[in-house]
Amino acid sequence: MKKARIAIVNIAIMVGILIFVILYSSYEGKAALRRQVESFVSTTVAMEHVTENYMAGEQHICDVWARYINSKGMSIEEAASFICISHVTQTASAHIVYLDTLSGLSTRARQDAADDYAVSYGRIGLLNDVSWINDIGKSVNISRAYTNPVNGEQSIAFCNYVTLQDSETGELRDAVLLRVLPIAEMAQKWIFPQEGFENTELSMIDANGDYIIKGHSFKNSSFFEFYRSYNTIDPASAQEFFETITSSTGSFTMLNSRGEKCILAYTPVDATGGWTLLSFMPMKDLRVNTENWLLIGVISAALLLLFVFDLSVMLNFNKKLQAAAREAASANRAKTDFLSTMSHDIRTPMNAIMGLTTIAEKNLGDTESVADNLRKIGLASNHLLSLINDILDISKVESGKLNLSPLTFSIVDTVENLVNISQPMIKEKNISFSFRINRMEKEYLYADQLRLNQIYINILSNAIKYTEPGGSVSVDMREEESETPGCVKLTYVVADTGMGMSPEFMAKMYEPFSRQTDSRVNTIQGTGLGLAITKQMVDLMNGVIDCQSELGKGTTFTIVLDIPVADKQLDDMRLEPIDVLIVDDDTVLLETAVDALESLGVTAEKAEDSVTALEMIRQRQESGRQYGVVILDWKMPGMDGVEAVRRIRSEIDENVPILLISAYDWSDIEDAAKDAGVNGFISKPLFRSKLYDKINELLGTEAKSAEPEDDYSDLAGISILVAEDNDINWEIISAMLGMFGIVTERAENGQICVDKMKAAERGQYALVFMDIQMPVMNGLDAARNIRALEDPWASSIPIIAMTADAFSENVTECLNAGMNGHIAKPVDIRLVIKEIRRIKEEKKA
Amino acid sequence: MKKLICIILAICAAVSLTACGGKTQEETAAGFKPALDTNTSCSITVVGSYDNFEALEAEFDRFNEFYPNVQLSYVKLDDYSNTLVTALEGNDKPNIFFTTASMIGNEQYDPVFALAEDLADPALGLDLDCIRPGLINHDAEGRVLLVPVFSRSYGMLVNKDLFEKEGLDIPTTWTELLAVCEAFRGKGCSSPMMGYSLKSSSCFMYTVAYPLFAAALAENPEALVLANELDPAAGETMRPALEAVEQLIGSGCIDLDACDMIEDNYTQVILRFFEGDVPMMICAGDTVSGTRKRESQSEAFTNAPFDYSFAPIPLTEEGGYFIDSPSVEFSVNKDCDDLDMTNEFMRFLITREELNAMASVKRLVTPTTDLSFDAVYAPFGQVPSERTISPEVLGITDALTVQIRLAAFQVGKGDITVDEAVTMYGSLEETQ
Repeated sequence: MKKARIAIVNIAIMVGILIFVILYSSYEGKAALRRQVESFVSTTVAMEHVTENYMAGEQHICDVWARYINSKGMSIEEAASFICISHVTQTASAHIVYLDTLSGLSTRARQDAADDYAVSYGRIGLLNDVSWINDIGKSVNISRAYTNPVNGEQSIAFCNYVTLQDSETGELRDAVLLRVLPIAEMAQKWIFPQEGFENTELSMIDANGDYIIKGHSFKNSSFFEFYRSYNTIDPASAQEFFETITSSTGSFTMLNSRGEKCILAYTPVDATGGWTLLSFMPMKDLRVNTENWLLIGVISAALLLLFVFDLSVMLNFNKKLQAAAREAASANRAKTDFLSTMSHDIRTPMNAIMGLTTIAEKNLGDTESVADNLRKIGLASNHLLSLINDILDISKVESGKLNLSPLTFSIVDTVENLVNISQPMIKEKNISFSFRINRMEKEYLYADQLRLNQIYINILSNAIKYTEPGGSVSVDMREEESETPGCVKLTYVVADTGMGMSPEFMAKMYEPFSRQTDSRVNTIQGTGLGLAITKQMVDLMNGVIDCQSELGKGTTFTIVLDIPVADKQLDDMRLEPIDVLIVDDDTVLLETAVDALESLGVTAEKAEDSVTALEMIRQRQESGRQYGVVILDWKMPGMDGVEAVRRIRSEIDENVPILLISAYDWSDIEDAAKDAGVNGFISKPLFRSKLYDKINELLGTEAKSAEPEDDYSDLAGISILVAEDNDINWEIISAMLGMFGIVTERAENGQICVDKMKAAERGQYALVFMDIQMPVMNGLDAARNIRALEDPWASSIPIIAMTADAFSENVTECLNAGMNGHIAKPVDIRLVIKEIRRIKEEKKA
Repeated sequence: MKKLICIILAICAAVSLTACGGKTQEETAAGFKPALDTNTSCSITVVGSYDNFEALEAEFDRFNEFYPNVQLSYVKLDDYSNTLVTALEGNDKPNIFFTTASMIGNEQYDPVFALAEDLADPALGLDLDCIRPGLINHDAEGRVLLVPVFSRSYGMLVNKDLFEKEGLDIPTTWTELLAVCEAFRGKGCSSPMMGYSLKSSSCFMYTVAYPLFAAALAENPEALVLANELDPAAGETMRPALEAVEQLIGSGCIDLDACDMIEDNYTQVILRFFEGDVPMMICAGDTVSGTRKRESQSEAFTNAPFDYSFAPIPLTEEGGYFIDSPSVEFSVNKDCDDLDMTNEFMRFLITREELNAMASVKRLVTPTTDLSFDAVYAPFGQVPSERTISPEVLGITDALTVQIRLAAFQVGKGDITVDEAVTMYGSLEETQ
């Protein structure tokens, strides 16, 4: 309706403009036409003066001849002879005709008889009535156009009475002297003088409308008849109309014989008795456009074009607005859904936290129950934290403020972290899980580890989440040569046998807040943000994410990223030249592991099952060339790893060092495995560095790198300055660190922290945990101030940010401010301990 | 909205398309295709004896649609019969000139025909077949030096509405004619038939007598020879014709006094007929040509218009005669300037369409084979060929026609008896 109204208004404006242009153009045209017509009439009047002068001149010649003839009493022959002598114009002639016989002499001989000068007007009808001839000098006595009886030419004649003496009788006879001029010659001279009226034709009519001189376009023998023939006029008004024409000056329009509109100007020829000069020309030759159709046409076309253009732009704009409105509505709905989901998803872990806290408070005496409640509170808290992180991430993504903060990191750590994080769920859901790596040669890469972790974890956790118990999830990671110099192409493939996705959902799965509508999905916790964040991050890292999925059969996500290789790489890792047997039913793993082992300088052999392995170990035993190390997979068809170890120990070799491979953590089988004779454990995937460390550790050639699991004695007595404005946070960190024997001292803001560092004695604090957002002075400024202290110890004290500002750019900010590390709140005490130990190790180094 | 845009675009397209629908030349005159450069610029003059020739001027305009730069004009020559020769030999030679069949054989016009082009020359491409064969004159050498553009005939204007009003049928036989006249007289009409009677030229007596006389001569070739030689022996052949005149007047079909009130043989005849109270007005086809224009000039006709036609006078029990005679004929001056364009104009003009168009404007009898295109002349199209007489083909000379005209006029006026007229054949002269 609105569109139609706009269109109608537009059309109305266009029509209005056109009407104005037409009216204005018409008005201007008519004014110009009026001026042209006035000019035409005045030129006609001027032409009449010219004509009158011409006729007066010609008449004067005739008058002079007549006076002379009359004064001399000439005979007709003498008069003719006299005129012959007086003739100047070649084309003109003179006739002297007796009035009684209407015959006489011509000054020029007949065309068909060279010596015949006789002329007769008896049948011409011109001189039957001579009342129109006045006395000499009284007026212009001009005849109508008639046929010259001597040469047949259409002519006019200027006349005068003369009196001649009859040469035979001597009597005086009345005659008429005619100065005869051919019309054709006159017509050549009788041209409208003004430029712009070249096509004007002239006629002269007598009082009856009969032509004296007739222009080409004038039809009929009478102008009045001509007018009647092609124009409508009633007999009553015709007479008055024709009288007006023959008695005044003016103009009017009429149709010519071709139906063309013409302008006719009329003015009386004063010198004659009732003659009228007529000027006639087609209106189109006036060169006046009463309606400028070109202008109107151009304006119409331009307006139409403008209208169509505006309309199309408006329609396009409307379409976009509609799409935007639809998107906004959709986003609004999604956000409403999201908030509803959030409300549910946040309340669920909060409910668990609050409920379990209440239960724990009531069962303070029951240590086991409290511990269980606290464990569950921890799980709920972690879930809540990941929820909050996702929300913050998507908000960053949507505002376009998601930036990458590349750091050098170990892909081995990343993968281990990935495996570790996924283990609890895998165990819980009893999912078959495999993680295979292939040719991972570069351990240290340079990228935003946090975002990379997020990508990998999101994809993997989705696979686990949406795979039902008893299903399988497999991860393949391989390193390939990249086309980008200095990079490796890291391909990460996660395949599951989960519920899969519909094509409809796949089309919008990367949109925020989108979750598949499925009753099974609804029971699974999720925000609908994971994939959106993942896609944005992959795009940000110029990577490619691909998904193949079939509803009910499973999904495979493939992520390919070109990641720069860090300058830092492990030193050349070489093992002693020993023989290593590796046993696994996974042939790909076997190939990869053999490559990795051989690159470490050992001779690697492989076996795909325990029986073959036992046979190979036996043969070696018998040949006296025992394997230096045997690496056995725990889970193998037929005979599993633990059983194989037991048989090796009991049947073949009690001393050969054996490592047991486990995809998961080995705590469940640790005791049984150690009882069977396993010397150590190694988890999949089998990185080169991990193999190097474990074999070295097993052979006792290098100190154990693994951290003691439960021994925190190295931390006891460490003094840490904690800059924290929030009392509860201070209390938590203080208590948590206190559990490890770490001594803490609080600075309530950045300024106090700086002051305390200024006042501290050398070695008083091992490091500083620095909150960022604090009153008086924030953590970043405080770090900068500390780094600016004069005391070298104080200025170089390790400072670890401990803040709820958890984004990578916050980490970068912290590092740029001179800090040595970053721990995000809520704090994971294990990370805190790990960070303290890292600082401690670095200090030792 | 899409509909709205479509409508606007459709209007634009329609406006654009109408701009393309210009009238083409081919539509204005079907069949004629210019053979010369249409940009040719020249002048062509047609000279004649007519004061006006609007029909021809209309053809000029039509020809200008093909040749816009050709200036055509019609010029009336004063004292045409005498000035024509002079004009043809003068400085300003006309391209086309009027001729009549009566000029053939007249020594005065030998120079005229000496300059006339053979219009039967196939190279000129004139469509002479469109003209009724009886109207075309071939000379001894088979040349056609003049082609008719109009023809003339003799008959009577019939007020059809008046017949219908009085419940009478238009007569088709002599008996019916007398009966109808009697019936009209009975209804108070003093002169059921009228005509011009003041002078012998174009008088109604001649119009009545000439077809009968020509028919009698057609049946009697010997009498024709004698008549042409103005031999009194041929006088007897006039008798039936003169008796018919006498009978019409004597029986009261024609009131001579009433006829004498008509002052001229053209305009006044027409205007009298348009008064609406004359059932039958005897006249020649040339007079009928003036009817159309004078319809608007007649107050009586304008106030009470009626349907009329021109029909042969039913002079015999078999009906009337169609005297099919050429009226105006055109000859081409072979010595004129721009002869090619002159012939091109003749090729344009001498076609059924153009001759009919010209006859229609002039309301003269067309010389083409199609007489039915003008309803006024339609009755002549129904006359059977055996009652169609072509005087020129028959060989009737001007002198003969003068004798029958004078005889009929004088008998009609009562100046002489039929017997006297018969004996005076060959020596009758104008009395006025």
